[in-house]
Parts: sequence; C-alpha cells; structure tokens
Amino acid sequence: MTLYHFGNCVALIYVPYYLTYKQSGLSEYGAFWKCIQAGLIYMFTQLAKMLVLATFFPDNVSDFGSDLIGEFLKSTVDLADLVGLYLVLSGIPGKGHSKVLTAGIGWATAEVILSRALLLWVGARGAEFDWIYIQKCLESNILLVQHIVTATLVWLWSRHDLKKNLKTVVTVLLVFTSYKSLLLDLLIANLGAGAWFGLLVKAMVTMFYGFVTLAIYAGLAQVIGIF
Amino acid sequence: MWLEEVDEIFKGYLPCYILIVLPIFIIISPGSPVSASTEFPVYRMQHYDLHGVAHGCRSAGINLEARSLSSWSSPRHCVVTKLKDLSIDSFRNIKLKAGALLIMLPENLTDLSAEDKQHFLLLENTMIAQEISIPVYFVRYSKKLDTIVDEISQGLDTNDMSKSAAEAMFNSIAANGYQIVVSSSNPSIKTDARVATIQGHLPGYSTEGKIPTIAIVAHYDSFGMAPDLSYGADSNGSGVVILLELVRLFSGLYSEAKTHGKYNIVFLLTGGGKINYQGSKKWLEDQLDSLDGSIIQEASYVMCLDTLATNDSIYMHVSKPPKEGSPASYFYKELKAVSEDFPLVDVESIHKKINLAEDVLSWEHERYSIRRLPAFTLSALRSHRDFKRATISDTRENLDVNRVIRNTKVIAEALARHVYNVSGGYVFGKSWDVSKKSIESWVDYLTTQPRSPQLLSNKDNILVNTFKETFDKYLRDVKTSYAVPEKRDPDFQFYEVTKGTMNVYSVKPAVFDLVLTFAIILYLGAIYFLIDYFPLVYGFACSLTSSKKIKGN
Repeated sequence: MTLYHFGNCVALIYVPYYLTYKQSGLSEYGAFWKCIQAGLIYMFTQLAKMLVLATFFPDNVSDFGSDLIGEFLKSTVDLADLVGLYLVLSGIPGKGHSKVLTAGIGWATAEVILSRALLLWVGARGAEFDWIYIQKCLESNILLVQHIVTATLVWLWSRHDLKKNLKTVVTVLLVFTSYKSLLLDLLIANLGAGAWFGLLVKAMVTMFYGFVTLAIYAGLAQVIGIF
Repeated sequence: MWLEEVDEIFKGYLPCYILIVLPIFIIISPGSPVSASTEFPVYRMQHYDLHGVAHGCRSAGINLEARSLSSWSSPRHCVVTKLKDLSIDSFRNIKLKAGALLIMLPENLTDLSAEDKQHFLLLENTMIAQEISIPVYFVRYSKKLDTIVDEISQGLDTNDMSKSAAEAMFNSIAANGYQIVVSSSNPSIKTDARVATIQGHLPGYSTEGKIPTIAIVAHYDSFGMAPDLSYGADSNGSGVVILLELVRLFSGLYSEAKTHGKYNIVFLLTGGGKINYQGSKKWLEDQLDSLDGSIIQEASYVMCLDTLATNDSIYMHVSKPPKEGSPASYFYKELKAVSEDFPLVDVESIHKKINLAEDVLSWEHERYSIRRLPAFTLSALRSHRDFKRATISDTRENLDVNRVIRNTKVIAEALARHVYNVSGGYVFGKSWDVSKKSIESWVDYLTTQPRSPQLLSNKDNILVNTFKETFDKYLRDVKTSYAVPEKRDPDFQFYEVTKGTMNVYSVKPAVFDLVLTFAIILYLGAIYFLIDYFPLVYGFACSLTSSKKIKGN
C-alpha cells in the first residue's frame, strides 16, 4: 500500500515534466542529450554553490527566520544558478523556444531527480502517511514553471536587441528570482498560514511571474521574428 | 547518429525494463527505510518465572493498528489507553482477545486522588498476578501521545449511527489511523542472571567468652508493573538507606576502643527480595551448610528492614513471639521505649505464622525463622499483602524523607541501647547522630535508577559495586555471594527485553490512496490540457504586447 503511495507521488512529480518535454515538441528536436547536459551543468553549479556555502557560512542550524541576514546572504549565492543557466543556454544552439525550454526542463529535471527522488524513496514508502510528500511533489511542479521562466529571463537578458527599459525589468526580475523563495517563506511564516495555503501563494506568485516573462518574451519574439 | 540512438533507447526500452528493475530494487533494498515521525520509549511489563510459575507478559513485538478501549474488536488491534480508564474487567477481556496493550501512565504519579491511587494499585496487582500472552507496554505521559490517544478514542467509530452517510463515508476515507510498531525479538531467558548479596561485619569485643551476633538485613531490589519503572523509593529503598546509615553510625562507634560494642554486627544487603528472598535464601544456605561454622549461628536475632516510610507506625513482624528475656524481646522493649519519645511513632508487634503452603514467603525474616534463627522484620506496613510493596508509583516524589530519618533515629537508638546495654538516656546525640545529609544523598542515589531484580542481575552491576565499595569503607570481611538459578528446575528466571522504542505511524486507509490516485490523475489531466492549449496563452501574450506597442507608438 505504501509502495502504491510512492507510485502516486512519483506520478505527481514526474509526469508533468514528461508532458512538458513531450508536448513542447522538444523530443522532435533530439534535445534529450542537451537536457542531460543542462543537468550536468546544474550539478556542477550546485557543487560550486555548496563549496561557497561551506567555506563562508557558519553551520547554523537555528530556526528559520532567526538569522535573516545570514539567510539573505545565502540566497545571494543562488545568483550562481543564473550563471549556470547562462552557461547552459550558451551551449544550446537553436531558436528561442526550444533553447529556453531545453535549458529550463533539463535544469529542473536535474534538480527534481537530485533533491526529491531520495526524499520520496525514503519517506513516501514508509508506513507513515504525511501530506508533506504530496506537497513537495506539487512544489516541484511549481519549480518546473519557475525554472523555465528563469531560463527565459536569462536568455532575454543576454539579448542585445532588448529595449533598455525592458532590460531593467528583466534584471530586476532575475535578481528577485534568487530571493523569491526566501521572501515567500518569510511571508508565509509571518502570515502563520498552513502548508497548503503557502503552496497556493507560491503557485500564484510563480504564475504571475511566468505571465510577465511570457509577455516580454512574446514582445521580443515578435520583433526578431521567431514564433 | 548515436544521439538519436540514445533517444531511441529511452523511448523504446525504458518503460519496459523499468517495470522489472523497479520492483527488484524495492525488494533488494536493505531493511525498511521507514523513518518514524514519532518515537516513544516504552517499558515492557514484568516477565519472569518464579518456582516454575510464569509471571507477566510473555511476548514483546507489536505491529498492529491502534484502537481505543471502546473500539477494539480483534487480535489485530493494539489497545491504547490511559491508565485511569482501564478497568480490571476490561483488562481481563483485552488479555484474552486483543493483540497488544499499551498503557499511558498519568502525567504525575504523586497527586493522584485516593480513589485513583487505590485503583492504580489494585490494577497493578491484578496485572502482575497472572500470566499474559499478549505484549503489554507502558509509556510515560507525553503531550503528543496524549493527543493521539484522544484522537483514537474519538475517531474511527464506524458503528456510530448519528452521523450522516456522507460524513461517515468521508470519515472512512480520510480518517487518521495509527499503526503501533515495537520491533523487538521474542524475549529470551537471561542466561547470565545472578542475584548478588553483599555482606560485611563489625566484630564485637568482649573479654569473656563467646561474642553474640546481631544481623541486620535489607533487600535492595524493587518491584512494579514494569521493571524499568520500578524505582522502589520506599520498598525497599528506605530499608537500604536505614541499613547504610546504621553501618555508618556503628562503624564509627566500633572504631573507638571506648565505644566498642560486645556484639558482632553483620550487615547484609540481599538481592532478589521481591522474588521470594532469593538472596537471603542462598546466603543462609552458604552460611549454615558450610562445614566451618559461621557467626550467624550464634545470632541473637536477625533484624530485617522493609518499607519503613509509608506510615508513622513501626510494626515488628514475627513468626513466633520472642520469649521473655530473649535478645529480641529486649530489643523490642527498647524500641518501644525509644518510640515513646517520638510522639508520632507507634511501635507494635504483629505475630503471623509462616504459611508454607503459600508460594511466596510474606516477610524476609521468615527465611531466617525457617532455619530456626530468631528473626523479625521491621516495617511501616501492617500487612505483607500491602500493594505498596510492589508498585511503580513508589518514586522519590512519593517518599517522605523526614519519616526515613525519624525511623532511622528510632531504630539506631534502640539498637545502640541494646548493644551497649543502657536503658534510658541517649546513645546518639549531638556529636554522633543520624545524618540528614547522608540519608538524603543515599535516597537520591537509589531513586535515580530502577532497581528491578532483572536489571541488577548482570555482571559488574554498578549499584552492587557501589554497595560493595561502601561496605568496604566501613566494614570488615566484605563478601559478595551470588545466587545463580540452577540449570535444571531453576528457582527464578529473568527474560531479556525490558524496554524498547515504540514507533507510532499515522496511516491512512487503503481507500484513501485510491481516491488520491484519482485526484492526481485529474490534476495531471488538467496539466496536459494546459500544456496542450499553451499556444492560446502565448497568443494572448502576443496580442497584449502588440497592443502595448501600438499604444506606445
């Protein structure tokens, strides 16, 4: 029965990734290898981040919210993700759509495999039932959207034919990406809301984020003529 | 190109071999990767054999669904209850038909009402008296467990007709169940069990003839429903503390030539007092049956100390009333005389013949009386059947240390008057008296650990060693003798596994997972359509930006 629950969780977490990969037509481009490459770069970036974190940050295991400046600085290290994504994007030839999607999906898949698979394998198979696994799975789905959005933003930022005022918007959005999870967690903790409401807030914010990015992207895509 | 081949493999073969590989993975993955969210230390009920009769619960492992007292129905349920809710009748029923029993102790054992206390003691006695085949565990109070117990007793009541059908259905799908797991192997006999008895003596000095001997005995073990919860502060912590204080006082007196008494005093800390005084039995056999005579044979009397802090009275239990003029009667008179100076203390002699038909002797002195030694027990309890001699509520908090100190004074004074043959006038006074500090420190030390016989029966037990070191400090010829159960027809047998860790898993009914799958499929379907119709969203975004541009222009 618990194995069945594990199956439930796996379906919930990985099927959206598969659907996105299939439906976006990436499989027809033969982007599988590029996705793996993106995953490898993801791993490399995380390793670098961990080195920095381990070197410069004391091992504080205090409660969330007690050391805000520390948390803030830690989130700053997440800016390295953007560099990683830039590397991924520069390694992928091709047009906007497939390029951005390949980078985003590859990146997100690597993350979901590395950070969630073990958790589910150990946790969701146990006799104990806990909603947290379902919540984690849904959160991963949100993260997929988030990573595609981030990849798009990085791509937009690297374009030279983006308008000046839009470029500032994109930069602000990019920087905000790193601190988004911290700010949202803080907001949810301060509201005293439950995990489900927190999830809803995250989903809403990410949707909004995605829509703004999509609008900018669509504008640029029309200008440079890719559809 | 090979890139396409990789893709091809992924497309063509991956789903097929995943179907085989994944189950294999799951089967060969080591152990259970279960990480418990809630763990509680649990204490297993007593489990021992005495004279071939089995006592306590005979099994240890639990892996069952938790149910309340009212909702359990089959051997697949583990009954979880608070101690005060458990009646003796329901316990009998559970013992026969349920799968396991888990009892949560009250938060505080000290401030129970008199009624609750009586119920507690009665229940405890009933439980220990009989053999139980299901595992029975005790767990200390904790808030988390308390909420779980409450939840169990409220929910899952499927027979409740007052709820609407929809509500009942919802409950049966989403109800929280709990799985209780205590992973423990079958209890096995403790092979290296042995009961230590520590002896030491103060030699008397006399110019004329034989020196008579007084023996002072206290058993140091305790007893209760669960070995690991039996702290035995009063029974028999108080006896041990008084004995150790007597050791300290008289060794001080005997070290001075002026105050060297003319009695040998033998001090004896016996083990296994709660299992029919096995320590005394073995020691007596060693002493009396050895070829060279022992000093105990010339004993004037043997004084046993047992549970001396429950009441203000001190009862002197005898199997045969001491003859007029015998040392024991002389001691009794002194005791009575001393007690008159303590208005609260009341001394009384109780005569009870030894009942050899019973399995267990009532008092420790009977061991000595059987061997025709003049012996008596001093106790604050009137009857040997008092439940207070075997309860887990006998803790440090329930012990009145002042009473221990006062009784020590009375006994020490009476003994000293007898030893030095002075009537009236105090032997102990300002310079050399019962020390509150030393008594309190011993009480604190003894009550920090459970002292059930099975816990003290291992080799090099720290408590036994401490006793030995203390005796070494004050007494001569300190010896430790061990009572070991015989291979054939053993007097007593202990079993391993006295405590364990309980994991409580919150589980959902199987239907819940099916419903969850259904919900997930719906969700994934929604995602599919969302991705499928994404071009519409994209088109909308395009129109938005183009209209903006028009505005901008």
